[in-house]
Amino acid sequence: MDDDTSPRLMSGNEAMARGALEAGVGFCTSYPGTPSTGIAEYIMSRAESIGIHAEWSVNEKVALEAAAGASWAGIPSLCSMKSLGLNVASDSLLSMNLSESGDGGFVIIVGDDPRGHSTSTEQDSRFYAKAALLPLLEPSGYQEAKDSVAYAFDISRKYKVPVIIRSTTRLSHSRGLVNLCPIDIHDFPRPLKMKENLFNVPDPHLARRDLRIKIRKISEAFDKSTFNRLRVKKEAELLTIASGICQKYAEEAMEEIGVENTGTLGLVTTHPLPKKVVAKAIKRAQNILFLEETDPFVEDAIRSFSTELISVSCKFHGKQNDLVPAHGEINTDLAIQGAQKALGLKFSRLDEKEEKIRESARKLLIRRPLTFCAGCTHRNVYWAVRKVKQRLGGKLFVAGDIGCYSLGVFYDEAISTLFSMGSGIGIASGLGQLHSFGLDSRIAAVAGDSTFLHACIPALINAKHKNANVTLMILDNSTTAMTGFQKHPGEEDQPEGQRMVSIEKIVQAIDPDFYAVGDAADLSSTIALIHSTVRKDGLNVLLFKSICRLEEQRMGESYTEQGRVYIDSDACHGESCKICAAQFGCVAIGWHDETARPIIYDHVCVRCGACVIVCPHDAIKQG
Amino acid sequence: MKEDYNILIAGVGGQGNLVCGRVLSEAARLKDLHPVIGETFGASRRGGTVLTHLRISNHERGPLIPKGRANLLLGMEPLEALRASIEYAGKQTVAVVSTARVETPESLSDAAEYPPTDKIIEAISSICGEVIAIDPVEALEKSGGLRLLNSYLLGAISVLKGVPISKDDIRESIRRTLQNPDLNLATFDLGVTDALKLSR
Ligand code: SF4
Ligand code: SF4
Repeated sequence: MDDDTSPRLMSGNEAMARGALEAGVGFCTSYPGTPSTGIAEYIMSRAESIGIHAEWSVNEKVALEAAAGASWAGIPSLCSMKSLGLNVASDSLLSMNLSESGDGGFVIIVGDDPRGHSTSTEQDSRFYAKAALLPLLEPSGYQEAKDSVAYAFDISRKYKVPVIIRSTTRLSHSRGLVNLCPIDIHDFPRPLKMKENLFNVPDPHLARRDLRIKIRKISEAFDKSTFNRLRVKKEAELLTIASGICQKYAEEAMEEIGVENTGTLGLVTTHPLPKKVVAKAIKRAQNILFLEETDPFVEDAIRSFSTELISVSCKFHGKQNDLVPAHGEINTDLAIQGAQKALGLKFSRLDEKEEKIRESARKLLIRRPLTFCAGCTHRNVYWAVRKVKQRLGGKLFVAGDIGCYSLGVFYDEAISTLFSMGSGIGIASGLGQLHSFGLDSRIAAVAGDSTFLHACIPALINAKHKNANVTLMILDNSTTAMTGFQKHPGEEDQPEGQRMVSIEKIVQAIDPDFYAVGDAADLSSTIALIHSTVRKDGLNVLLFKSICRLEEQRMGESYTEQGRVYIDSDACHGESCKICAAQFGCVAIGWHDETARPIIYDHVCVRCGACVIVCPHDAIKQG
Repeated sequence: MKEDYNILIAGVGGQGNLVCGRVLSEAARLKDLHPVIGETFGASRRGGTVLTHLRISNHERGPLIPKGRANLLLGMEPLEALRASIEYAGKQTVAVVSTARVETPESLSDAAEYPPTDKIIEAISSICGEVIAIDPVEALEKSGGLRLLNSYLLGAISVLKGVPISKDDIRESIRRTLQNPDLNLATFDLGVTDALKLSR
């Protein structure tokens, strides 16, 4: 096991996972989602050797429920997920919060993604802590990320409440130095003793009242926490109050603005507020600048709390008065800007000449949108959708879903909606009932294999039950590719101790009017199958056997056995066609301006042969 | 060290950008420095812009280089080097830029025009203090193709002055961090040779 405890570079995710292991976590559940995936991954890589349980649950709601169950049996439990995952789990969170958590402690880590780098929306998940009346921690660095997990377990055990830790992409996905402690092999109390009275009825309002009392006590405990650091000499002209990774931006900004008399309050325990610490900070500052990711969460709480204090003379600045943006990611520059505006200083990073230079440089730039990998079968399916759409005069509406295939929004707008897990077939089940209203478009939805199991089943049942005219295309590449190949129940190949749940059998149990299995690697048959199916009334399900090329390469595939793909320059129609490079757009196909012919980048090409079918002039050959 | 040293690695998903960052941050560790390294994931494998921010300091910094504050820009692709330099470079920046272009889906479909490489280098030069434009194609054909671009460029930056990590640290870090270290080290040396030729 990990006997080597020398300091090392760890991501925020790894540090939090390590913190959980050092704190003696026994049961860990998660569903993959950027930026939180790495937490459970780290724990899983060590779970067996330490003798603890770690799982990719089927979705976040189940993950939360499973971990809560284990916590009630006395096992220290951890549940990690991304922002939108907590939405899925919130149904249970917002009622379980009123029943005490178990003796082992229960910690929930949520990874927010400000700016939505890898998320279909931007969300600040901290409001769940407020809604559920639960304590919330926001670590600011790597060591603190690790240490905050042990502290969260302490608070959870002492006050018998789940504790939420919020990380953000920048902390989760960046690395810094962390000092480690050994991981002990834990003995969990045997026999396990289940907690009793795990329900809120008949008096949920009283349970809520009691939780409020608890949260007051936790506020007092937070006042004593060494995680919150106030650094201020006498009265500061400007004091920043920052949480999470923004603490680092605040520190650097205060060094940069060249104002002598500044201070910082770094808050890690952001709900409930450590009121005494905050009051002390407010009294020592003329101006306060709030720095936090996404919403004015701490800002609002402190602005509201300040009304309880007598004779507050300091001015508050932050997102509420637009000195700091309430959308996108915060960074040091925005912190500097906010500070300068708060003090009425003139802000400019560059002189006019340098601005001009950048302005003209910027004119050269072109975008670089994301695209599918070389030979990705999702591209084939969307190419087929494009062809079918053309044949149907554009009258095909495809609702999209969450996964690699979400990139379909950028691929000729092959999919028209993109929201939450499972929303595609849900939306389609509504649209598919509008034919009696005169809707003249065919309705389809796509979903990946992991997404199907996560959230599509109720909507598919709804579509069948309500007699909707819908085609669901399940793109089954047998892995959770978007987040890095996590195992899910639908895969044939399962790790020891886990069993397969067949997607095909689930679909057949719902008994669609038409069901067929397609091969997404075969472009011609894919076009034909989609074309013939979407025109059928009733519920149709197409299960496309798909291939994730990254997963394939990870497993050691090298493609040298298939023949090389090349261009027959004489047959090629060049610029007047350019369908392969410009429309199909496999990233292994480039364009050679001098010869006006495509080139196949052999080091990227997976020799799938799809472009051979795409070329209308038989100019792409394989062999 | 008195001042922070900021390295920005700009490239396209699949070029080995993150590996470069790992190698350099482990090399900084060998010097007992305090690296913080911010990586962009998700897009990293799917052909989008990838930036790795490496900040070397004697204490823990935030993971993002402030605007205009890069000391070294490692450009794995010209267009991405330009994009990064507009935001993060300044007169103190030394940029080492590979001239091997990676087209965008739109430049391939003629929806947008990929600017000429010399125009790009010119624009980067107008922003940065010093630019070393390096064509990796010939050297990489000898060693094993564009997959090794990262090791080649690491070699190229190792000859620069003022970088707080030495050539030997980077070599040692490659040995520890990468699979197939021999091939990577040989490619690293090609980068060293070519960069020395250019800076002379
Ligand atoms: S699709 Fe065929 S004919 Fe058209 S440009 Fe490509 S190779 Fe040439
Ligand atoms: S065979 Fe054609 S479609 Fe397949 S990866 Fe190679 S270039 Fe792309």
